[in-house]
Amino acid sequence: MRRQQSYRFEDNESTSYALRMNRRFSRVESGADLKDYFDRGDIASRENRWNFEVAWEVANKVGGIYTVIRSKAYVSTEEMGEQLCMMGPYKEHCARTEMEEMEFPRGNPLLDAVNSLRSRGYKIHTGRWLVDGNPQLILFDIGSAAWKLDQFKSEMWEKCHIGIPHLDIETNDAIILGFMIAEFLEEFRNFAVTYSQNNELSAPRIVAHFHEWQAGVGLIVLRTRLVEIATVFTTHATLLGRYLCAGNTDFYNNLDKFAVDEEAGKRQIYHRYCLERGATHLAHVFTTVSDITGYEAEHLLKRKPDIITPNGLNVKKFSAIHEFQNLHAVAKEKINEFVRGHFYGHIDFDLDKTLYFFIAGRYEFGNKGADIFIEALARLNAMLKHEKPDTTVVAFLIFPTKTNNFNVDSLRGHAVIKQLRDTINNVQQAVGKRMFDTCLQGNIPNADDLLQKDDLVKIKRCMFAMQRDSMPPVTTHNVADDWNDPVLSSIRRCHLFNSRHDRVKMVFHPEFLTSTNPLFGIDYEEFVRGCHLGVFPSYYEPWGYTPAECTVMGIPSVTTNLSGFGCFMEEHISDPKSYGIYIVDRRYIGLENSVQQLSSFMMEFSRLNRRQRIIQRNRTERLSDLLDWRTLGIYYRQARVKALQAVYPDYVDELSLYGSKNNLIFSRPHSEPPSPTSSRHTTPAPSVHGSDDEDSVDEETELKELGIK
Amino acid sequence: MSKFAWVTLTTNDTYSLGALVLAHSLKRAKTAHQLAVLVTPNVSQAMRDRLNEVYNVVQEVNVLDSQDAANLALLSRPELGVTFTKLHSWRLVQFEKCVFLDADTLVLQNCDELFEREELSAAPDVSWPDCFNSGVFVFKPSVDTFAQITEFAVKNGSFDGGDQGLLNQFFADWSTADIKKHLPFVYNVTAYASYCYLPAFKQFRDKIKILHFAGKLKPWLIQFNSETKVASVSSEYAHAQDLIQLWWNIFCENVIQSLSTEMAGLAGALSQLRIGQQRTPEQEAYENQMRRQCWESGQIDYSGADSFENIWKKISQTLERKTEKESEETGSS
Repeated sequence: MRRQQSYRFEDNESTSYALRMNRRFSRVESGADLKDYFDRGDIASRENRWNFEVAWEVANKVGGIYTVIRSKAYVSTEEMGEQLCMMGPYKEHCARTEMEEMEFPRGNPLLDAVNSLRSRGYKIHTGRWLVDGNPQLILFDIGSAAWKLDQFKSEMWEKCHIGIPHLDIETNDAIILGFMIAEFLEEFRNFAVTYSQNNELSAPRIVAHFHEWQAGVGLIVLRTRLVEIATVFTTHATLLGRYLCAGNTDFYNNLDKFAVDEEAGKRQIYHRYCLERGATHLAHVFTTVSDITGYEAEHLLKRKPDIITPNGLNVKKFSAIHEFQNLHAVAKEKINEFVRGHFYGHIDFDLDKTLYFFIAGRYEFGNKGADIFIEALARLNAMLKHEKPDTTVVAFLIFPTKTNNFNVDSLRGHAVIKQLRDTINNVQQAVGKRMFDTCLQGNIPNADDLLQKDDLVKIKRCMFAMQRDSMPPVTTHNVADDWNDPVLSSIRRCHLFNSRHDRVKMVFHPEFLTSTNPLFGIDYEEFVRGCHLGVFPSYYEPWGYTPAECTVMGIPSVTTNLSGFGCFMEEHISDPKSYGIYIVDRRYIGLENSVQQLSSFMMEFSRLNRRQRIIQRNRTERLSDLLDWRTLGIYYRQARVKALQAVYPDYVDELSLYGSKNNLIFSRPHSEPPSPTSSRHTTPAPSVHGSDDEDSVDEETELKELGIK
Repeated sequence: MSKFAWVTLTTNDTYSLGALVLAHSLKRAKTAHQLAVLVTPNVSQAMRDRLNEVYNVVQEVNVLDSQDAANLALLSRPELGVTFTKLHSWRLVQFEKCVFLDADTLVLQNCDELFEREELSAAPDVSWPDCFNSGVFVFKPSVDTFAQITEFAVKNGSFDGGDQGLLNQFFADWSTADIKKHLPFVYNVTAYASYCYLPAFKQFRDKIKILHFAGKLKPWLIQFNSETKVASVSSEYAHAQDLIQLWWNIFCENVIQSLSTEMAGLAGALSQLRIGQQRTPEQEAYENQMRRQCWESGQIDYSGADSFENIWKKISQTLERKTEKESEETGSS
């Protein structure tokens, strides 16, 4: 899919396609694209510029950083080609499947540097990462340098007065990796200089980008050894921030008051914190993933980020513009099927007038905002009962936690529904056969003869099985420690027990979604597509891939101004709500007000009719361009350029001379009267109206139809 | 000679520092009884010689000594090996009665009255007062009892994997049988803040007879400034600052002179310290090493010497030194 697409962009024909796409998206400046720099490293090699990207999670899936780097690999290689090299630890189980081992070509300073390190006894694997773009990859075997750990730690102590506790294996590993990488880069620089002199090239310019504190060790070593290499350091969240938020502190209101050294010390992460803060201050350019994390870093690490480098996605585009709408319908039917089984005996609501809301993520009850979600659902329930009793909302909470397998009642529901369906199918066949036979004999079939008593008995038996005294369960599994589980306790407190009168029904699914699940066999992506609204009212969310994923699938979502994603959308779209991005304020107003706001957003959404929702999904999907790495990769580029200029003051970024300044701003949709955007940096450029057939739905009437205030 | 003895145990040279300070604290409290120490093979000869100067008996305990039937039995349960070393106290049959003290305790007042108690008298443990804390207990050496406990250990193991669990199982009726066997808490006060009832600590601190540095932060791991002779105590021990200072005072007055570089671990490093004098570069280097050791054992003085401000100063120094060197080099070439 991806490959085909890249061809499409290179094709001549595709230019018109791309142009058309661009016009559809009310993009302000087309110069904001990283695509303008896609030369597979041509210019970089002419400038003798080398780029390295270092992270613990390169070809090593641990958490979210892996996704960031992996999805970015494609645009990075398109931009820098063979001048780019990613580096990380060699973890056999991952590397085996993700890496194609090969040696660098002879005469390449990379090979010389690798060989020089190998002669020191280090084991180094080189090759390509088997992801889109196939970037060059160097993985360092940590075990092979473990014998030098004490030497490394001594150096760290002598130069920085940072010691590493013996018991913290992860940090000790990070030290080994950091030193190996620093030694590699040092060697590489020496070889590159000689190589450039021999080949009469200009002096090499090297920039290394480090992600997170583990890789930050490498940055500290490079800088304290005073190697002339430009460095960029990115934190995706601060260590201390994570710990403080996990402890239910009133985080943002006290951010400027924390005694950071002491807080880190008390939590026994002081050494890690020192490494993170050291790397932050030693880097030539420091970046974070969002404004909100920037704010956090400013207070906890005491440095304001120079550039914000938001996380992007690899956006899959369909050749048919509205394909995602069809996918929504298909996936929704699967969810309907589940709901029929789960709520058997209680399906007195119309599935066509049922909305599916969901929240998903790691099970951090407060940080992910599940607390205010449930509270707001209780209020939505009251509002719906009063105002729109024919609409039902089913809220899914997907948070993996410890369970003792499936709930028997939910399994039974699915069996009962299946039995009914099978019985009806049998009866249907029998009736058809009788009808055929009757007609064959030349008689007009009589309704009474067709459905026989016997059939009715079978159907009745099924219906009898469908009756139940209990209410449909609020969870699909038996949750371990059910009484203390935060989600279940909140549901109990809010009395959301799925009774007949409740307009909001709860389904807590304490397991990841997979298509092999016998109860709810659907994978996460399909599930998201089938839902109507994603609700992510997070309190602590440095970036927020979940709402971003929703957006590129054309599913509207609720986010907050404390999540990186929410901040980003707020900054780049004049009126996020009209694009199906509802942003709850959790920063400047009280908790009660946030809950009210969230419930009113959900109510607002519930008031939309089907057509309005379709229009809204169209608009949401249009934002996917904004979240594509092709667009967002530009910030990474800016960070690198800035770092290069700090180390090599004579460095001029050729392209930026005629490239334009990058301020992406999405205006309101065409059909909306322009909002007063004069206070923003740019005014939306006028776009061509009515030129796209697919967009007929986006005409002036849309606003009225959509009824969004 | 007294038939009674104080008994302690040390497993390495660093821990022996505690044993040395403990012995001196007993002498300061003018005990009338003898002192005995059990040492494991890890303790260096130099350290044993020093221990011999203050202890009347220095007895080596070799867990793997298979000459012994009880030991042979224990070989089948290797996980109990370390636990077992403390039990060897019961083999000190040359004494009529003994009081066992952990090497991380400090005697503040004369406690000779403890020898009037019966086996097994001990103070309750703070986190489970129905169990006694095995850091201080009165016992009567006997080969029979030793054999019984060993047999019991092999059969039942220890519920917490340590000696405290084992002894509490063996002397199971301690909490109910005889109140005279309950020593008052002042004979074994745990100093670590998180175990400690602070207002009571303040109220009764003059009554404390034996202080027990249970927990991982031992007095010898606390930052100590050799020039001013002041120990900088972290927040966990803030309430016991003067008692920690007392430990270091005893150390400075009675122990440090006898340390030598042949000793291993911290003892070797400390032997280089010259107390109360201007610091020599050598000494600074040793203090530096101690500080690093503190980091590596997880005891970081983050609100003092190791604050990020100081770390950043150090990093900046490193950066500057390098630039100087570089400019010199380029200047000379």
